[in-house]
Amino acid sequence: MAGRGKLIAVIGDEDTCTGFLLGGIGELNKNRKPNFLVVEKDTSIAEIEETFKSFLTRNDIGIILINQFIAEMIRHAIDAHLQSIPAVLEIPSKEHPYDASKDSILRRAKGMFSAEDFR
Amino acid sequence: MGAADLEEFSLLLDEKLLRFMDQLELLEEKRATLNSLIEQGWFSMSKARYSMGNKQVSPLQYASDIEPLICVHARTLDNGKEEFCTERVKQINESSKDVTSIEDVGPQEQGIRRRNKPKKNMAEKEKDDKANNKKGPKETLVVKCDQNPQQDPLKWFGILVPQSLKQAQTSFKQVIELSAEIATLQAAVLNTRQELKNSMKYKLILQEKASAPQTDNASD
Repeated sequence: MAGRGKLIAVIGDEDTCTGFLLGGIGELNKNRKPNFLVVEKDTSIAEIEETFKSFLTRNDIGIILINQFIAEMIRHAIDAHLQSIPAVLEIPSKEHPYDASKDSILRRAKGMFSAEDFR
Repeated sequence: MGAADLEEFSLLLDEKLLRFMDQLELLEEKRATLNSLIEQGWFSMSKARYSMGNKQVSPLQYASDIEPLICVHARTLDNGKEEFCTERVKQINESSKDVTSIEDVGPQEQGIRRRNKPKKNMAEKEKDDKANNKKGPKETLVVKCDQNPQQDPLKWFGILVPQSLKQAQTSFKQVIELSAEIATLQAAVLNTRQELKNSMKYKLILQEKASAPQTDNASD
């Protein structure tokens, strides 16, 4: 990998992963571990969560892109991640348009104006 | 701490709040651009799939060895903010041109050789050879590197792919660059939020301190 840079990982449906891999983000490392997960109908939530957590622990990943409908399945894991690196970005999918009210970052930002912040 | 200090601090707080709002607005704008670019990418990919066949644009076509062509640099700035920027990896073909050169060891002269050359011609030829040697070193042949591990992902789907697949690739390349900008902005939003939260707490303390002497005076 060039320039000691970090990778962009993606967890998404078939078209999302294919698109981003066409863009050139894909990698299979020495242990044949990919930096992407194609979520299909039969992919279990446990598998998605495990992959997401493994991406969080890998220090060669800088950004994790995840379809919002998949992020909804593992919302607790995404909300528990508070570090800025790797950054988690929720993106739309073909069947599910992006909903800002579900985005974990924007919900945190919205929380700015809740009563708790004034205590 | 007087009322003047409190007012000054409130102004600072307002400034931070405005900055926060600006960042949120910018984030929303970039998000909208990202969403439209992704949609464009999917649309182009669907068009390609329509012309190539359903199975031709699927994960089954991914290469067995995948090398990243883009990487992201994450760095922390002096003010504690995170910044993400993308960098494209140069193709190996371009960089390895100088390394894979083979010296030409074949006959220098081309065409028919004359065995019995006149002496005059021989002397002229020697002069020419000397002149050529002065011009520079021997030319070398460059052999192209065929085994390029960092192959363009477009080639996974065939040699002659439709234009729509190339358009899909362009869209997703733009999405990748934009996603790094959004990641930077998200980090900035969270940072500003934290600053605002701390400032608000401090303002409450200031307000309490400012109101305390007044209540003491009233009780006296």
